[in-house]
Amino acid sequence: MTDNGSAPAALHAERVWFSFRNHDWVLKDVSLAIPASKHTVIMGPSGVGKTTLLRVLAGLLKPNQGQVWVFGQPTEELKPRELSALVGYIPQQLGLVRNLSALENVLMGALGRLADSRALLGLFPRDEIEKARAALEMMGIGHKSSEQVFRLSGGERQRVAIARTLLQHPRIVVADEFASDLDLALASEILTRIRRAAEQEQITFIMSMHRMGLARQFGDAVLALKNGELVPGFIGNEILETPSIEASL
Amino acid sequence: MRSPFVVPVVTTFFLLAVLAHLGFFDWARLSRGFRNLSILGADMVPPDLGILPVASAALWETVEMSFAGTLLGFLASLPLSILGTRRLFSTWVSSLARFIAAGIRTIPVLLWAIVFVILVGLGPLAGTLGIAAYTVGYLAKIYADLFEGTDPEIMEAVQSTGASKLQLVRFVVIPEAANAVLAQVLFMLEYNIRASSILGFVGAGGLGFVIQIYLQSLDYRRLATVLLLVLVIVLLMDGISAWLRKRFLLSANAG
Repeated sequence: MTDNGSAPAALHAERVWFSFRNHDWVLKDVSLAIPASKHTVIMGPSGVGKTTLLRVLAGLLKPNQGQVWVFGQPTEELKPRELSALVGYIPQQLGLVRNLSALENVLMGALGRLADSRALLGLFPRDEIEKARAALEMMGIGHKSSEQVFRLSGGERQRVAIARTLLQHPRIVVADEFASDLDLALASEILTRIRRAAEQEQITFIMSMHRMGLARQFGDAVLALKNGELVPGFIGNEILETPSIEASL
Repeated sequence: MRSPFVVPVVTTFFLLAVLAHLGFFDWARLSRGFRNLSILGADMVPPDLGILPVASAALWETVEMSFAGTLLGFLASLPLSILGTRRLFSTWVSSLARFIAAGIRTIPVLLWAIVFVILVGLGPLAGTLGIAAYTVGYLAKIYADLFEGTDPEIMEAVQSTGASKLQLVRFVVIPEAANAVLAQVLFMLEYNIRASSILGFVGAGGLGFVIQIYLQSLDYRRLATVLLLVLVIVLLMDGISAWLRKRFLLSANAG
């Protein structure tokens, strides 16, 4: 494992190759280091492997070659509950259970800490319920906590998904195309709330995005992915000042 | 190139051959059937309402058998269908669970009733167990297929919170399929009420026993009363399940 010199890496990938059932390579020799407590944006047009890269980084997919470390520990050596204490994952469609309420969905963030017996009966400890409500409040949706998710708007669902991940208390959150479907003002508001929550909890955020404006606003660092490979020279803060990134994607 | 008429022409010939084999072109027999139908219809009118107390008691027994059998079968089908969900369990566990469900389903409900009459003796207990057995086989298959269709993204998202397999079932698999789970159990209840009205034929309790007596003694006016009662209860069930669906099921386009 190498260090990029400045801040310690929260996530570190070394020469990662990935393909689904031995078809074409989706990720080709990807090496990267994500700095802790920063917001890293992965940009690139659709179909270049952003989702796959995020799932590999979150430990949900095992690379065919190469390795991923979370705070220095190889992801493949971590048990699911150990991994969930470190990394939270929000898929593109958010992965919320539509028939359950916003609060119940948020409480799922606590499942990794709870024993089966009580949780299966739907009996969550009072302090977890308080924390879940607080997370919804923080995302500005406390008043909808008992609404079923299928009744919520797109923006409200994004807030529920973030609140669920916050309740998980991970040190890293990996989010796929978060807030992409929302209009700019709403996306910007939600991302601002995320920044505030992340700073408060010292969380490292990694998000894929395809909108430059949002990436500029949200990201401390931007990585660009093209045809399964990282675009060289596009790592670091300076990219935000480089107008040519859109042209190169 | 194959002619576009091959499939329709072959199908039509096959259908005509089968119908001829089954006696559909025996006009004399068919016309006799229509004549008998009018006689039977005339013999059923007016229904003999004097047997209402007897028939109502039998009907109530049928309803009890259906409710208890459906509920027991439903409860037993849940663990079996979860074990049969390939995404949650290994291939051999899910295949074994699906094989058991298929085995149970192969035997029609009337045969299950006979089996339980042999095991626990005559009466509604045998009927209830027969209904429960058939319900397990049917629902376990439907539910396992339903559970397998759970959105993988939701599974992955909740799994990444560190949820255990049982927690996934409780908080993702069942809630996501809740609409269809309820709809299927209501369908099964309606089906079982109709099916259980003949279980009495084999001594498994309920209305079937009464129906059989009136059929054998050619007492069609009394039979008509019983059939009307079945019609009433089936309509009533339709109403109740329509209300339950409206009350508990989410709109289909939700999500």
